[in-house]
Amino acid sequence: MPRAVWNGAISFGLVTIPVKLYNAVSRKSVRFNQLDDRTGARIKYQKVSAETGEEVPADHIVRGWEFAKGQYVLVDDDELQAMAPSGGKAITIEAFVPLDQIDPVLWDSAHYAAPDPGFEKAYALLLKALERSGRVAVSQYVRGGKQYLAALRPNAGKLDVCTMVWADEVVDPAAVDGLDTVAEVEVSDAELAMADQLIEQLIGDFEHDTFRDSYREELVALLQRKAAGEEIVAPAEPVAGGDDKVVDLLAALEASVAAAKAARSVDADEESAAEATAAKPKKKRAARKRTAKKASAKKAAAKRAAARKSA
Amino acid sequence: MADATIVEVGGRQLRLTNLDKVLYPETGTTKAEVIDYYARIAPAMVPHVAGRPLTFRRWPNGVEQSAFFEKNCPGHAPDWVPRLDGPGDVRSCGLDEQAALAWAGNQAALEIHAPMSRAGALDEPLALVLDLDPGPPADIVTCVEVAVAIRAVLDTVDLVSVPKTSGSKGMQLYVPLNGGADYETTSSFALALGQLLERQRPELVLTDMTRSLRPGKVLIDWSQNSFHKTTIAPYSLRGRARPTVSTPVTWDELEAATSADDLTFEAADVLARVEHHGDLFADVVELEQRLPQRGGG
Repeated sequence: MPRAVWNGAISFGLVTIPVKLYNAVSRKSVRFNQLDDRTGARIKYQKVSAETGEEVPADHIVRGWEFAKGQYVLVDDDELQAMAPSGGKAITIEAFVPLDQIDPVLWDSAHYAAPDPGFEKAYALLLKALERSGRVAVSQYVRGGKQYLAALRPNAGKLDVCTMVWADEVVDPAAVDGLDTVAEVEVSDAELAMADQLIEQLIGDFEHDTFRDSYREELVALLQRKAAGEEIVAPAEPVAGGDDKVVDLLAALEASVAAAKAARSVDADEESAAEATAAKPKKKRAARKRTAKKASAKKAAAKRAAARKSA
Repeated sequence: MADATIVEVGGRQLRLTNLDKVLYPETGTTKAEVIDYYARIAPAMVPHVAGRPLTFRRWPNGVEQSAFFEKNCPGHAPDWVPRLDGPGDVRSCGLDEQAALAWAGNQAALEIHAPMSRAGALDEPLALVLDLDPGPPADIVTCVEVAVAIRAVLDTVDLVSVPKTSGSKGMQLYVPLNGGADYETTSSFALALGQLLERQRPELVLTDMTRSLRPGKVLIDWSQNSFHKTTIAPYSLRGRARPTVSTPVTWDELEAATSADDLTFEAADVLARVEHHGDLFADVVELEQRLPQRGGG
């Protein structure tokens, strides 16, 4: 069960809803430790003086802020403590804004807010009201001595606290090499049409779980086999198409074709059953072709006879 | 990402995707069936498309969604799919083997449109084509009347003509040439044929596309005799509600037809027909004929 990372309350006007925050994301990157290959011992870090190379005891380590090259102002814990954002333990709602006004670049991390026992009603009320408004609640809160800007977002029956970076943390794109000239490029309609076609080919819906970190999965699998004692040699270059088996074309299609045909015959059975029990005007497809043929044959014959007469 | 099946066909490896995707919702026809059709029809179809810079019309999400024309061969096409010089800067795909047709099917390139000439000799049409396009309430049976009249004219100058359905509403008539022709001659001859028919049967035929007097008449479209024009290829599927095919037919079948249904063939019908008749369009790429020309040609 996930552990709460923060305890506090959502504060909205006179209303206070005590909540706990849980991480919405648990990262799955593969982490390695450094070891001494002669002994297998873990490597640890030591804080040493850049001048003497000797270890510095913890009680002699202080904080300094480099205001110019090689020049520092010293600050101690008491000073920082006095400065620390207070704000108590509240997520203070400041405005309700449309979600699409928040550029995706600004999103930083996400938490689920869960109500403390006894406050489910207030929580549900805020959730429902937010859902109806179609907006998100821009809020601020303090956690671990750091101030956060966040959007309180109704999402699938819960409130998500999605933190954002601050405005002055966003890199100015004008300062990025190569971006300055893009606006001046002219593209022709023909080029655009071709690009449209390329896009059209891959249009689809976003199905998140179809995308996988295959590198990580393979790496973990390899590590687990190794842990189980298997001898691993450098993996061979994967052939085109990965480890899919190559099969004969028509044989490969056979199952799919048979499935499509089976699906059709079930439809046809359902249709004829439907026709037997009730006159359903729309479901005439199976019978249509033959009857239509007879009807139009008569019509065509009549038409031809008429044509001969007039000719 | 998507489910893929790697298959081998004619020594080529091909990656097939989304086989169960329904491309024709009305009939439930899936992409697997489209690929299966193109793979099976390949022996009959390849001679008619090989070496030609082709235009695809693709329906990636099925015939009820939007389609687009693809004249340039996409960069992701397998390297064994030949890139052929088409008109202008166009570099088109060529389809000259079963694997290539299966690949096109996997691209949902339901319609394959071909010019009358091959790459490298773009200005030498191998056949003359007349596209007979009915204006409702005229239908393909009305077109047959016109086609039979055109055949009568061609017979008088000893030219064999070969018919196929368009797989859509009308039909086409091909006059095989296979050597020594140019578009100047074929388009002039086609226009003259059309105008002759227009004089003979003014109540039935017209040749001018811009006129709005189409209802009940058959447009003889002679203008596809041009190096930058394409015509639906024989045996190509059509992107219509049902998987109909541009199908070579015999003159007897045409004359016996009493309704459009008699001349409507879907993929499975066409495979059975080829099994039974062979390639009814073989003459179009084999028979050498000369259009009447000053100086004997």
